[in-house]
Amino acid sequence: MLADEELMQLVYQSRADAFEVIYDRHADAAFSLALRMCSQRALAEDVVQEAFLSLWRSQAHYDRGRGSVRTWLLGIVHNRAIDSLRRRAVRDRGIVDDEGLEERIASPQRTDQEFARREEARQVRDALEQLPGEQSRVIELAYFGGLTHVQIASMLDQPVGTVKGRMRLGLSKMRITLVDPAEAR
Amino acid sequence: MSTDEVDIDTDGCGVDAAPYVLGALSEAEVAAFCMHLTTCAVCREEVAVMGAVVATLPAVAPQVSAPVDLKRRVMGTVQREASLHATPALGASATSAAHPRARAWLGWRPALAGASLVAAAAALVAIAIASGRSGSSVRTIRAEVLAPRASATVRVSDGHAVLNIAGMPQTTPDRVYEVWILRTRAPQPTDALFTVSRAGNATVGVPGALDGVKEILVTSEPRGGSPAPTRTPVIVAHVS
Repeated sequence: MLADEELMQLVYQSRADAFEVIYDRHADAAFSLALRMCSQRALAEDVVQEAFLSLWRSQAHYDRGRGSVRTWLLGIVHNRAIDSLRRRAVRDRGIVDDEGLEERIASPQRTDQEFARREEARQVRDALEQLPGEQSRVIELAYFGGLTHVQIASMLDQPVGTVKGRMRLGLSKMRITLVDPAEAR
Repeated sequence: MSTDEVDIDTDGCGVDAAPYVLGALSEAEVAAFCMHLTTCAVCREEVAVMGAVVATLPAVAPQVSAPVDLKRRVMGTVQREASLHATPALGASATSAAHPRARAWLGWRPALAGASLVAAAAALVAIAIASGRSGSSVRTIRAEVLAPRASATVRVSDGHAVLNIAGMPQTTPDRVYEVWILRTRAPQPTDALFTVSRAGNATVGVPGALDGVKEILVTSEPRGGSPAPTRTPVIVAHVS
């Protein structure tokens, strides 16, 4: 089984079969992120389609030095979702409730990789939940809500400096929790 | 405000690293911060450290399956475009074989050729070969630029290119400049979207290697970029 990085070499050569493997491996994660951000299925589908076609058409973007193919791809999805949200000025969307997701993966194949991803997800969720509410809120509003720090400051009626400070503190604490949970306690 | 909170001096160094990695800066702020990053090792380190944390955040999103129709649409486009990359049959017309985007693009060529391209007459492809490390060279290519008083050069080194722009008009708030690469037919989009400084300057890395690239192009596009050019290029650099 070829690794993503090896598949990307084939994608550079316009190999649709290699691209399809990349798609199959990461489409669920990409769509999950897009849906979490956009809250609208049609919008999320557009974002994921744009992101994958961007990967296909620009081909030579991927730089191993900047992380895994998955991280890189999800970064593209995130940027596209932000652009889409800001372009369409969708500001009335709510947070997606877990219960509202009809297509939630019930029991995916229990591969080692899937298990590792679920464990990572649990750790990240824990790290986010351990933050003071005002810090996790600005992180979620920025990352998943696509809001700028100025918009968040206005929404929360807080100075811009406070919002930036909460972002920085929150991410720093998450890092400590993820790297050394004992130190975080 | 919680007890461990601090207000950040909004003019201090490093204050924008967190909003930057979270995607919470405006386009103008991103451009300014990226410029700052080129000279500030502290902020680069901060971006690397916080960026690694942010890269884990997608895991928090509830995991759902991508719609089957979505794959059908994406792969349909990919397979069509992959077939265009196959060697055309002998005698086939390049235009007739081209993707619809390519045909639209070809239609722009006369308009571009007829435009008063600054520097076009002076230096269609002015190439300066500078001394480089053994086995490598640095080329500086002067690009054709549509805007009066603007200029652009492409610096090619080790198979990668950096676009240096000066005197370009500001984009309106709802638009950005987008970099494209042209190999054989239709221009391919890149993720290089940018705005220019107040003075109209920008330095933009062209993503990816230049293997087979004939031209580097810049167009004005709606914010977020476009999958295909919607306007006539404002910059054209002939790379090969």
